[in-house]
Amino acid sequence: MRKGGELVKMTLKDLPQQDLFGPGNAGCRGCGAAIAGRQAMKVLGARTIITMPASCMATLSGLNQKTAWSIPFYHTLFEIAPAVSSGIRASLEAQGIKDVNVVSWAGDAGTADIGFQSLSGAAERNDNIIHVCYDNEMYMNTGGQSGSQTPIYAMTSNQQKGKRTGKKDMLKIMVAHDVGYVASATISHPLDLAEKFKKAAAHDGFSYIHIMAPCYRGWNIPTDQSVATARKAVESGFWELYEVVDGKKTRTHEPSFIPVSEYLMSQGRFKNLSTEQVKEIQDAVNSHFGRKEAK
Amino acid sequence: MAKKLPIVPSAKAGSMAEAPSGIIWREQHPVIGDKCNQCLECIMFCPEGALKLENGKVAVSLELCNGCGTCAFECPQKAITMVLEFSGDRGIFPLKEGKS
Ligand SMILES: Cc1ncc(C[n+]2csc(CCOP(=O)(O)OP(=O)(O)O)c2C)c(N)n1
Repeated sequence: MRKGGELVKMTLKDLPQQDLFGPGNAGCRGCGAAIAGRQAMKVLGARTIITMPASCMATLSGLNQKTAWSIPFYHTLFEIAPAVSSGIRASLEAQGIKDVNVVSWAGDAGTADIGFQSLSGAAERNDNIIHVCYDNEMYMNTGGQSGSQTPIYAMTSNQQKGKRTGKKDMLKIMVAHDVGYVASATISHPLDLAEKFKKAAAHDGFSYIHIMAPCYRGWNIPTDQSVATARKAVESGFWELYEVVDGKKTRTHEPSFIPVSEYLMSQGRFKNLSTEQVKEIQDAVNSHFGRKEAK
Repeated sequence: MAKKLPIVPSAKAGSMAEAPSGIIWREQHPVIGDKCNQCLECIMFCPEGALKLENGKVAVSLELCNGCGTCAFECPQKAITMVLEFSGDRGIFPLKEGKS
């Protein structure tokens, strides 16, 4: 954040008290997606229009004739949230309205799998929207099936022996679209997340933010552990916090490198992991960060 | 030629807060103690927006809280305690002190 030309670190006190999303939402206890939504809306502000495909977040934030949003919220078909956002942006432009953030906000399926073609299209056209993927690494709204964002070996409702393939790297895919702003974030680091939303909102063109948002039911953790689990993912190096501005990558938080097993073994979905499998994941993290061995 | 579009009903902004669902199945709620130094971390981590700064103090709205316990776990001062209660469709009955 800049104040009078000087770079000052934003603090929690700088974020508005008012909630534009949240109060009364029907999320499960400790819902990571709802936490992400609240944190993001503190930065995006009242001049925001949000579109959302079928997902937990769409369900928990709007039921019957009620909504947990205080901004225009449009529930789209599964495949098309970014396309609807593109259309909204075009209509705002036609009306000469410039001060509105247009956001498409989808789960991991709505982003990386079923919604991927419309996302890729909007990114390729460099439409002036922000796409947010809140990633609970499963299809939670339909009972926790595996998807392309499910990490290797995680047990899901349809793969009870664990997923056999790894997580598709959506951030790299979006960087390959050559868009101006791509960032990863998570709910345990709200100020880091807020800074990234600020930059995405200021960026004139397509932005992509991928938020790791733990889900207590799918990940089989206690209800008070969503934030703590996200923090373990970051500190172990399992989930890297970074941004890519015009192709240049910067890490925004240096992990302390706790053993990856602390992250994995605190979750029921990884309880079947063998020592070799944990080591394999630890080795992958080490080689990603160019480290010799874990402490 | 402009098409005549149908008027569809739309929800009133923020109206879910009028009938929050979480409290129906809440089993515990936070009590904020004296150690609180208003760092505001719990407010950022609450999924329901149940915590607010009111007159310089963090206050919890029991209308909205669904009792996940994240605030108590995350509080750097350990100023928040989760208190058990009975809940159900007949409302919330806090446990009397000294009884269990
Ligand atoms: C075209 C279409 N296919 C399937 C569904 C059923 N469906 C609704 S939500 C959902 C999963 C959503 O998963 P994700 O995007 O990861 O969000 P989450 O629920 O995990 O938050 C599915 C398969 C649908 N609504 N529309």
